[in-house]
Amino acid sequence: MPTRILIAEDEPNIVEALRFLLRRAGYEVEHADDGERALARLLASPPDLLILDVMLPSRNGFEILKMVRAEPAIAALPVVMLTAKGQSHDRRVAAEIGANVFLTKPFSNAQVVDEVRRLAAP
Amino acid sequence: MARAPIGLRVRERRKALGWTQVGLAERLSVSPSYLNLIENGKRPIGGRILMRLAEVLEVDLETLDAAADRRLIDELSELAGDPVLRELTLDTRETAILVGRHGAWARALSMLHRAYRERDRAARLLADRLSQDPLLSDAVHRMLSNAAAIRSTAEILDGVDDLSPVELSKFHSILGQESGRLAEACEAIVRFFDHASASASASSPAEEVDFFLLERDNYFPRLESAAEELLFAANVEEDRWKSRLIDYLQARFGVTVERAGLEKAGMPGVRNHTRFDHDTRRFYIFDSAPEATRRFEIAKLVAKLGLAPQIEAEISMARTPLSDEAARYVRRALASYCAGAMAMPYEAFFEQARGCRFDIDVLAQRFQASYEQAAHRLVTLRAPNAAAPPFAFMRSDASGFVTKRYPLPNLPLPRQSGACPLWAVYQAFQTPETVQRQLVEFPGGERFLFVARAVTKECAAFERPRRLMSVMIACEAVYADQLVYGDGLDFSPRAAPTNVGPSCQLCMRETCASRQEGRLDLGGSDADGIFG
Repeated sequence: MPTRILIAEDEPNIVEALRFLLRRAGYEVEHADDGERALARLLASPPDLLILDVMLPSRNGFEILKMVRAEPAIAALPVVMLTAKGQSHDRRVAAEIGANVFLTKPFSNAQVVDEVRRLAAP
Repeated sequence: MARAPIGLRVRERRKALGWTQVGLAERLSVSPSYLNLIENGKRPIGGRILMRLAEVLEVDLETLDAAADRRLIDELSELAGDPVLRELTLDTRETAILVGRHGAWARALSMLHRAYRERDRAARLLADRLSQDPLLSDAVHRMLSNAAAIRSTAEILDGVDDLSPVELSKFHSILGQESGRLAEACEAIVRFFDHASASASASSPAEEVDFFLLERDNYFPRLESAAEELLFAANVEEDRWKSRLIDYLQARFGVTVERAGLEKAGMPGVRNHTRFDHDTRRFYIFDSAPEATRRFEIAKLVAKLGLAPQIEAEISMARTPLSDEAARYVRRALASYCAGAMAMPYEAFFEQARGCRFDIDVLAQRFQASYEQAAHRLVTLRAPNAAAPPFAFMRSDASGFVTKRYPLPNLPLPRQSGACPLWAVYQAFQTPETVQRQLVEFPGGERFLFVARAVTKECAAFERPRRLMSVMIACEAVYADQLVYGDGLDFSPRAAPTNVGPSCQLCMRETCASRQEGRLDLGGSDADGIFG
């Protein structure tokens, strides 16, 4: 079974690039473009890894991360957070509520793929 | 709370009257020991005894028991607790003594403390505004998202060899879209900063005046035409300019212009070598005034008396209503503006200025104006259809105190003192009455042409020290070819202009030999060394 990654991100062009990259790296990629849909997918059919943007419509990334960590079935899910605000404040919040990795935009493709590989490794 | 130093006041007053404690106690019909306790602040007093004290000591009640003093003591106690002063471990019990003995100094301390806290608050607000402004943060957020998409896509296009034609065209199209959006986001950021500087609120009357003049581009077409109409009404001819204005003052406003000897020059109310006596309607011009000043001051009085409605109309049009104090300054500035417009009528002056390529000395001579008046008039040549290059103006005294300024949007001038010592405006003091020109480059790469000259402000007399003021105009280097002062200067990128900064505190040239103090730490860390 290939590793399944859910990308929760509302910028279609970023999704496009990430989807392409991660597929090439051998992952199965799904996508949700707002917080509510991301959450629904996470609960209905939990992926192996979540790439989560902080600034999502309807529910922001921090809220979703908090819910993930509070839900026993998916509490251990590896999460890569993306943000366009590299402020130390965001970084601290992300660490506090349990993001595994925090990447600031504009990230490099290699960074994303490396982190995903590291987290998805058995 | 420390007790108000009534006792101290009683003692000081008693001593001033030359009475002993016993003597005062007798007059008050109290025991000397009770009075002693009062004087040492060990008995609270009020009511009847306080009134009796005031009566016997012949001072008003307020002087003895001033509520203001109690507030002052509270404020000083608060000041003592300020973290900045913590190391001094001030004894708050001494505040009462300070207030009692050195009231004015105590008030000075408290006023300074208040002003300091006010500034501190303003600085914090400014910092907060930058870090929290929703417009800015939204634009930055969009920009970073666009950059992320572009970077990812570009890396794919660059690093993946086997893209299908469909993928290739898809990623190319993403690049196009995202770079367009990136450009928009960048523009939004530029707009933000433009707007931020334009809408920044003034915090002092002097700043209000600055904003008012900047808002209007320092050009007032209605005042220009009013000044010209007035010249016409006064029947002014070029060779009888001054005498016709003097006649006009007499005929229209009943004001007599008189010369006054220097012995009266020190009296109160003298400004710019003149004094207007409202009661006698006499306008005295002192012998210390150079001819250009006489002419200008007469025109200024004509403007104050004859163009007041027009000046008030301009003031009422200020986008942000002016405070009373700022309005006073603006009134004065606009009266000078009108005087300039009368002495150097726009059209003629602009024509001549272009003809001599903005040679200030030539213009001063042609219009019988002083160097400073002509230089200042240049700054107002901003009529849309007949505009000179945008000039900044600055006047400094020998101590570096800035007494007049008109900044350009990208050339910040110091508000009171402390620009860069390398600026021509200061160098000009070394060779008075000689024009100094200077091609300067700021740390950000902006280049300006500075033209400065230290001028004598009044007629010489053996007993009077020579008073110099340095007057500088500045324009962006791109306009230098229009100016006689740009001739012969090397503007090529290889040429070495004078490397200057705004002021030491704001300058990034760490190794500058003229540096006098370190750069101001704005509180943000500069761990990445972005600022050099």
